[in-house]
Amino acid sequence: MANHHSAAEEHGKRHKHEGPQKHIVAFIFSVVLTVIAFAMVAAGEINSTFVYIMLLVMAVIQVFIQMSFWMHMKDRGHLYPIIAILTGVFVVLTIVVMAEYWTWW
Amino acid sequence: MSASHVEGKLPHEPEKATLEGRNKVLGFWLFLGGETVLFGTLFSAFLALRHQVGDGNPTADELFKLSTVAIATAILLVSSLTSVFAIQAMHRNQVKAMLNWLIITVILGFGFLGLEIYEFYEYVHEGHKFSTSAFSTSFYTLVGFHGAHVLFGVLWITLLIIQISTKKGLTVVTAPKVYVAGMYWHFIDVVWVFIFTVVYLMGKVG
Repeated sequence: MANHHSAAEEHGKRHKHEGPQKHIVAFIFSVVLTVIAFAMVAAGEINSTFVYIMLLVMAVIQVFIQMSFWMHMKDRGHLYPIIAILTGVFVVLTIVVMAEYWTWW
Repeated sequence: MSASHVEGKLPHEPEKATLEGRNKVLGFWLFLGGETVLFGTLFSAFLALRHQVGDGNPTADELFKLSTVAIATAILLVSSLTSVFAIQAMHRNQVKAMLNWLIITVILGFGFLGLEIYEFYEYVHEGHKFSTSAFSTSFYTLVGFHGAHVLFGVLWITLLIIQISTKKGLTVVTAPKVYVAGMYWHFIDVVWVFIFTVVYLMGKVG
């Protein structure tokens, strides 16, 4: 136990705790993307196909940022989480494309 | 039980200090993969049915108020950040700061829920009930399912706060629970990003 204790202490000294900076940057990016999305819709009068594509692209970027930084998916040792989420995304894309384009064919 | 945390000396990442903790985190990722599919199916149903309003029933454009959705979005986004701060405080072994950030997260979660209940209440008064149209059913199912997840999340985190502050403290056993609850909360926010985009903003565009 004593060994473990000192090892943990040593580890604590060696390891620098990550600061909040990059999480705040991720937050600011999320806010900016959200504000742009709402502003585009509130402004109206813009070509709706363009708005659709932009909204989706910004949502995907925001989710990518949040999952990378806040859920730590960019960190080492996250291969299985990435596989799990991408498998889910693959199924979702299949269902959503089916629903959007084939339901009322 | 390991003595390594008796005097508040937790390992650097207490949620990953034990095999059990690592397995919990990995298992939770697999669960989130399944949750992705669950919400994906609800999104697909909504996408397929969103224009099936029927005669004389309110459309998405008539119902949705961007201001309410914007406030709800801001609340959930800030609460996601406060749960990040909770995990960071946990990594610094600042239990009190962690609990405070978790409490703020829970309060924001309840704020979001209150706003959503108010919103649904308004819609029902405007003739947008669960069984009004295929659009209304798929809308309430998708957004309501997300709201139910928020409710589950705030209850879960509240129980964790009580458990850690009154009984167990922060240990290598309780730390994975907090970390996993944080992941869940981020996931809820991630789903909301797609809800405000696909349901509300695209509903407004038409």
